[in-house]
Amino acid sequence: MTWLSTPPSVAQPAVERYLTEVAARLPGSPRAHRDIVAELRSGILDATDAHCSAGLPPAGAVDTAIGEFGDPVQVAEGFRAEIAAGLARRAAVVVLVTGPLVGVLWIVTAVASHVAPHHQWTDLSPGFQVGVPLVAVAAAVTACGALFGIAATGRLTRWLPALPRRAPGAAAIAGFSAIGADALGLALLGVQLATAAGALSPWPAAAAATASIARLLFARRAACRCLAIRTGLT
Amino acid sequence: MRAETLKGHLDGILLAVLEPEPRHGYAIMEALRDRSAGQVDLPTGTIYPALHRLERAGLVGASWSTVGGRRRRVYQLTPAGRRALDTERNSWRDFSAAVTALLQPLPLAVSPQ
Repeated sequence: MTWLSTPPSVAQPAVERYLTEVAARLPGSPRAHRDIVAELRSGILDATDAHCSAGLPPAGAVDTAIGEFGDPVQVAEGFRAEIAAGLARRAAVVVLVTGPLVGVLWIVTAVASHVAPHHQWTDLSPGFQVGVPLVAVAAAVTACGALFGIAATGRLTRWLPALPRRAPGAAAIAGFSAIGADALGLALLGVQLATAAGALSPWPAAAAATASIARLLFARRAACRCLAIRTGLT
Repeated sequence: MRAETLKGHLDGILLAVLEPEPRHGYAIMEALRDRSAGQVDLPTGTIYPALHRLERAGLVGASWSTVGGRRRRVYQLTPAGRRALDTERNSWRDFSAAVTALLQPLPLAVSPQ
C-alpha cells in the first residue's frame, strides 16, 4: 500500500515532540525561534510525505523522517551561531542608530541651558571638562564595536573567517560602552542640577534624560544577552 | 559521506544545488542525495543553519511561500551567490587536481642489478 501523505494525527505528536526538543535547546526567546521551528516542521513533514509516497506506513515514515533530521542537540547547536549573529546584529544596529539621536538631545539641552555661555571650553565647569571627553570616548568605542558587530554578521562574512564568537563580543562591547556614555550623560545632568539647576532648560533635559535611560536599559539587556550567548559558542 | 568530510565545502555544494532552480530545505536535501548518488547523506536538520548563514552572507535569498497548504522557506541563488559558486568551482578544480597528482602512485624505482 502506498501512502501519498501522512495523516496529521499520526505525524503531529511525534513531529511536535521533536521540534519541542530542538526549540528547548535554542538560545533566546521562543518568539525568535518561531521561523526556525516553522521551517523545520515543514521540512520534516515534506520528508514524511516523501517516505509515505515511497511506501512506508505513516508511523514508520514519521520516525524515518525524524531520524534523518538528526539529533535535536546537533540541530540546535547548528542554529546557535546564527541566532547569536542575529541577536548581535540587532543590538549593534539599535545602539548605533540611537547614539546620535540621544547625543543630539543632550547637545540641544546643553545649548538651551547655556552650559557654555560663550561657547568656550574654558567656560565649562571642571566636571564637564572631564565628563564630556569621556562621553566622546565611550561614544567612539560604541560606534566602533557596533560597526564591527554589523560587519561581522552581514555580507562581509563571505570574506571573513567564520568566528561566531566575534560578533556577539563586539556587540556586547558596543552595548557596555553605550551604557557608559549614557550613564556619564546622566551624571553630568546630575552635576548641573546640583550646581546650577536654575539654568537648566527643563524640557530638553527631560527628553534627553528619558532617551538616555531608555537606551541604557536596552543596551544593558542586549549586552548581557550577547555575552550569555557568546559563552555557548565555540 | 560524513559532515566532517564535507567541512569547508558544504557552502559550495549548497550553492551548486540551488543553481538550476530555487528549492526549499527538503528539496535541497533530496537534490544533494540524488546528485551525489546517495554518497552525501547529512542529517537534514544540519543544512538549515548553513542555508541561514548563506542568506546572511547575501549568497542566497529566501522567502516564504505556501504550496498545498504548507508554508515553506524557498531559497534561491543571488548574483553574488553565482559568483561565489564560480570561485568555489575554480578553487575545487585546482585543489582536486593537486591532491590527485599527489595521491598518484609513483613508478617504483628499479634497483640496479
